[in-house]
Amino acid sequence: MMMYYEIKKIFVKRGNRVALAVLAFAIIVIVYSLVSQTYWVNENGEMETGFGTIRKIKEAKQEWSGSLTENQIARVIEEKNRINATPQHQSEDMRQQEIAYSWTQGFQDITYLLNYAYGDFQTWDYTVADSLTPDMASDFYPNRMKSLKKWLEEEEGGANLFTDKEKAFLMEQYENLETPFFYEYQEGWKNLFQWASGIAMITALVLGFLCAGIFADEFRQKASAIFYSSYHGRGKAIWTKVTAGLLTVTVVYWAAMLAYSAAVLGIFGIEGSNCPIQSTMAGWKSFYQITNGQEYLMILFGGYLGCLFMTGAVMLVSAAAKSSLLAVTIPFLMIILPSLLMSMNSPTLNKILGLLPDQLLQISSVVKYFNLYEIGGEIFGAVPILAAVYLLLTFILIPMMYFTYKKHQVTR
Amino acid sequence: MELEIINLTKEFKEIIAVDHINLSMKNGVYGLLGVNGAGKTTFMRMLCTLIRPSVGKILCEGKDIFEMDGEYRKILGYLPQEFGFYPDFTVQDYLMYVASIKGIRQTAAKKRTKILLQQVGLSKVQNRKMKKLSGGMKRRVGIAQAMLNNPKILILDEPTAGLDPSERIRFRNLISELSQDRLVLLSTHIVSDIEYIANQILLMQNGKIFHSGTQEEILNEVPIRVWRLDVRKSEVEHWQAMYKVANLKTMPQGAELRILSEQCPDTNAKEEELTLEDVFLYYFGEKAGNNDDVL
Ligand SMILES: Nc1ncnc2c1ncn2[C@@H]1O[C@H](COP(=O)(O)OP(=O)(O)O)[C@@H](O)[C@H]1O
Ligand SMILES: [Mg+2]
Repeated sequence: MMMYYEIKKIFVKRGNRVALAVLAFAIIVIVYSLVSQTYWVNENGEMETGFGTIRKIKEAKQEWSGSLTENQIARVIEEKNRINATPQHQSEDMRQQEIAYSWTQGFQDITYLLNYAYGDFQTWDYTVADSLTPDMASDFYPNRMKSLKKWLEEEEGGANLFTDKEKAFLMEQYENLETPFFYEYQEGWKNLFQWASGIAMITALVLGFLCAGIFADEFRQKASAIFYSSYHGRGKAIWTKVTAGLLTVTVVYWAAMLAYSAAVLGIFGIEGSNCPIQSTMAGWKSFYQITNGQEYLMILFGGYLGCLFMTGAVMLVSAAAKSSLLAVTIPFLMIILPSLLMSMNSPTLNKILGLLPDQLLQISSVVKYFNLYEIGGEIFGAVPILAAVYLLLTFILIPMMYFTYKKHQVTR
Repeated sequence: MELEIINLTKEFKEIIAVDHINLSMKNGVYGLLGVNGAGKTTFMRMLCTLIRPSVGKILCEGKDIFEMDGEYRKILGYLPQEFGFYPDFTVQDYLMYVASIKGIRQTAAKKRTKILLQQVGLSKVQNRKMKKLSGGMKRRVGIAQAMLNNPKILILDEPTAGLDPSERIRFRNLISELSQDRLVLLSTHIVSDIEYIANQILLMQNGKIFHSGTQEEILNEVPIRVWRLDVRKSEVEHWQAMYKVANLKTMPQGAELRILSEQCPDTNAKEEELTLEDVFLYYFGEKAGNNDDVL
């Protein structure tokens, strides 16, 4: 009963309702923009956008689904070359060029991979795929390692960014990646990942706003005198507040993330969950050996932990300060400051930034960074360290807020 | 139920708000009377375990209330001077929440809430939001919440402040009704509140309880008498300079003064019966002239 009313206190507040409405609205806008950004060039060279194009893209891409073997790579190169040789492609007329482009859409993801595999490690050159011959297909996977190796040796590349051990770790991760990749249509995941961190961040901000008042409002509303003079006021009633906060994080976070996921995957399809993340351009360089489905789980749980930690920090500060003013700014600072510092582009700084809590909200980016950490002679990526560190810190925050709040006196 | 207060002291940075209070209280209604700043609220907050004393102890049936912790708060009801609540909760929600932190089970809480709402005359507004209630209604909800756990010790900090006269009367009756078989301590700076409901009066000034007893005892022990005297308007200032004047009533032909003095101030003066009001003025000086007090 105590819990029911504690939760009710959060949700009857007008400001909190507005914050939740903002969150819901943000999700709708984002999903809508993902749909409206989708485009398809039809056989007449005309661009179509929106919901109706999704089915067409899916059909075209599914024709190229399957194991991405040398054969398949060779087929893509052949097809690409064949289209490049058509009069439509070579025509000066934009419309004709668009028609030629329309034939490439089914294997476009793979063409992008070719640009990486046969191009330079750090630069993206979209013409690379036009200069290949089918017999080069066997270089596709070895090239991924070769270009990393080359980059790690270059002075202006990664040579000075990593220790030998770290370099060896990266190479090993690349080598161990299972090939050939399984490739299929995976726009659902691609789109999902694109805004997952955005949603997680908005959710974290909203949660900070929602939970900042749990402790502070008793004082702000001068209800603290009755609270602390009640039977459970220095015990169970405080635990209930802690739990109400955690419950709010849990419910709001999962509702937001699952609503977003359900909408995006419902619209774009769940195909591609078993593809390794390296099978699309965005994940090509990642050293994490995971599938889209696994990345999704990491995003979900990382974001959850991030929201728990940030909200925990908000609650601790509001419990200590008896005011929510400072507390609500915490998620803002935790999210905005690192991204400002990130632009300074200092490797040591980036290493630290890689372990800040905002990273948990953007696992989809973290799995692409080369942030490495050596602990006890072993090299780790940021993900397991983030998980361990913030799990521990969150567990520490919980009793801290309880005891901080418990000891207050009511002097005015 | 017995509360024993031993050497109780609370110092804030510069002020000693409560200064070595020694007092013993049993069941009955205690009226804590003192001007603003006397230390009433600080004293009551300590009794509610909200503030830890700088020095001294409060014992409940011989046990330190801070050590008793929840066990003590279980038998405590408190209406703070500034009564805070959750503005978006309905009256019902509010009382049910307070019941829950008082450790009352849901079914019992529902019954109790219903009875109390009836008793304080708020059954009709139980679904209204707290922020939509009038000042007097809020105060009545405050009393109801204090009574939820049927407390053996009930502490009311200025329960009648800011109420209009008719509401104040209702409130006094309500408090009298609720005060059976408990220890009730209520503070006020309004004399008439105390006259009506308290059996024991505690006079507080500068953090000290310097006088206590029943109304009669207090009236008997005050070394002062009160006199009625009709004077000309031009003489009023003279009398005011000479004596403490409890009341001044202007008449068409002059003024009627109520003068506090041990001796008869004038041959024309007639002795009148001493009231608590006069005592208050005697002890607390000018500050006693409280416009708040219409009754
Ligand atoms: N939290 C506090 N910090 C500093 N001084 C305080 C505090 N609370 C009360 N005081 C001071 O203690 C004295 C007694 O105040 P209070 O207990 O509120 O008296 P009353 O309730 O009789 O008006 C006043 O001088 C007041 O300014
Ligand atoms: Mg006071």
